[in-house]
Amino acid sequence: MSKNGPIALVYHTLFVTFMLAPILVVCFVAFTPEGYLSFPTDRWSLRWFYAIGRYPEFISAFWRSLWLGALSSAIAVAFSVPAALAIGRHRFRGRDAMTALFMSPLMIPHVVLGIAFLRFFTELGLGGTFVGLVLAHIVIVLPFALRLTLASAVGLDRSIEHAAISLGASDGTVLRRITLPLVLPGLVSGWALAFINSFDEVTMTVFIAAPGTETLPVRMFLYIQDNIDPLVTSVSAVVIAVTVAALIVLDRAYGLERLLVGRSVDGR
Amino acid sequence: MSFLSLEGLSKRFGTHTAVDGLTLAVEKGEFVSLLGPSGCGKTTTLQMIAGFVEPSGGAIRLEGRDLLAMKPAKRGLGIVFQSYALFPHMTVAENVAFGLEMQGVAAVERSKRVGETLELVGLGAFTGRFPRQLSGGQQQRVALARALVIRPQILLLDEPLSNLDAKLREEMQIELRQIQRTVGTTTILVTHDQAEAMALSDRVVVMNHGRAEQIGPPHEAYERPATPFVANFLGRTNLVNGTTVRPEKIWFATSGLAGKVRTRIFQGNHWLYQVETAGGLVTVIRQNTGEAMPGEGESVHLAWDGVPPHATRGEVSAKRTEGS
Repeated sequence: MSKNGPIALVYHTLFVTFMLAPILVVCFVAFTPEGYLSFPTDRWSLRWFYAIGRYPEFISAFWRSLWLGALSSAIAVAFSVPAALAIGRHRFRGRDAMTALFMSPLMIPHVVLGIAFLRFFTELGLGGTFVGLVLAHIVIVLPFALRLTLASAVGLDRSIEHAAISLGASDGTVLRRITLPLVLPGLVSGWALAFINSFDEVTMTVFIAAPGTETLPVRMFLYIQDNIDPLVTSVSAVVIAVTVAALIVLDRAYGLERLLVGRSVDGR
Repeated sequence: MSFLSLEGLSKRFGTHTAVDGLTLAVEKGEFVSLLGPSGCGKTTTLQMIAGFVEPSGGAIRLEGRDLLAMKPAKRGLGIVFQSYALFPHMTVAENVAFGLEMQGVAAVERSKRVGETLELVGLGAFTGRFPRQLSGGQQQRVALARALVIRPQILLLDEPLSNLDAKLREEMQIELRQIQRTVGTTTILVTHDQAEAMALSDRVVVMNHGRAEQIGPPHEAYERPATPFVANFLGRTNLVNGTTVRPEKIWFATSGLAGKVRTRIFQGNHWLYQVETAGGLVTVIRQNTGEAMPGEGESVHLAWDGVPPHATRGEVSAKRTEGS
């Protein structure tokens, strides 16, 4: 690998600073004692962290977001596996149309999806329910799950499955013992990326969530509409801390690069 | 009745005919190579025997039974793939045991046979390794062990040595032949390497455009090629007055076809000459016996068996073909 020159170093420093500065500022503000957003400051306090305890709806919204992300990503991955195996390895009529359909949620603005789901779920009697949220989130995270699953399905050497067949394995056995273990890294990466997108989503969710089914980002968004105090910064700081901790654990256990790039077990 | 027979086997992809009425009878224990350039239909033929490609016409019989009526998983064939196709998430022992597991062989018997087969290919000490921790040659042996352990009726080898470097390839050729002789499994090898096919096989099937140009023992195909294609594909040839002469069968004489040495290349155990004659370039290979040899620019006379040297005055064309 070539060494960075001075100009490149300056560029990278500025870029990283630009990326990280908002996150750091939010964390600093979370430790201020004032009842409004003040930065810089010379006094420190944990006041706004204790304050979270007085707002149980933030805590329940956090758990709801976790469950929503985990569930909708898992279902999206479950849909992705057969779709990826079909699209990635076979040529059939309607293949391109199918791919375009699964990827289309990426092209449609979330605000449009939000309004559409609001109308749709109200008609179905799912308006403001957790089931409605899960259904809507499956739609928006499916492209992310499918992308990475597809990448690992395409990269799979067909002759490995042929070898298993020639050794007497039935179709079901080949899928269970060979194909699924080999695309597993793609599935895990796809799930992780889908989860992040679900956890993050506010534009669409704000339309379809109701009091009692608000996700954490929606709860925070609604809170700052009516309040100017730094409560949301302490909530953000907690989410950042949880994220960093999760990343460290994942990196130790699995390797972050492998998780996010979706490399297969044998490094190919 | 022969052990394995292909009867008028054909495969068409759209308008392209990959295999065109191939008929071949293989005896039990025989080592047969399908040899030809890429696109000659040799791999398609192997895939039809394995069951991964459906023939457009013809039949495949194994001991008289219709092989095409059987699912690929039920054919009981051992296959070694060009990419080895090892299961990357399983250890060497698990890879080799997989076929036995599918056959429902009990665990004790299984580990005994896995051990024996890995000893046979010289990998007894590597059972716990994963494929990615092995060299190309070792992976190749695992693939061979995995195919042999199920005691297949036929062993199919799809360009098994083409990913190895030259020296290792030669070693593996010798080893492969020894192993095949030891276990006596009927073997079909697909290769584009004529040296490999000749070194390993009892018979070669030289294929071109989906047809068998010649079927016979390697020595016979080399010495008496049935078509110009076979002559050119199996090593270097000179075409002189409509007859083919192998470069190693031409010697320098005091009289004969007159010519001048254009290039002389020393290749250790032999000399490779390009001699300019009245009709064109003639390739000559002479063994290095330590004697003095004509140098570049020298005038020489060429002679060979069968044709009186003084009679050769016609058109000479030299062709050189190596199986890439």
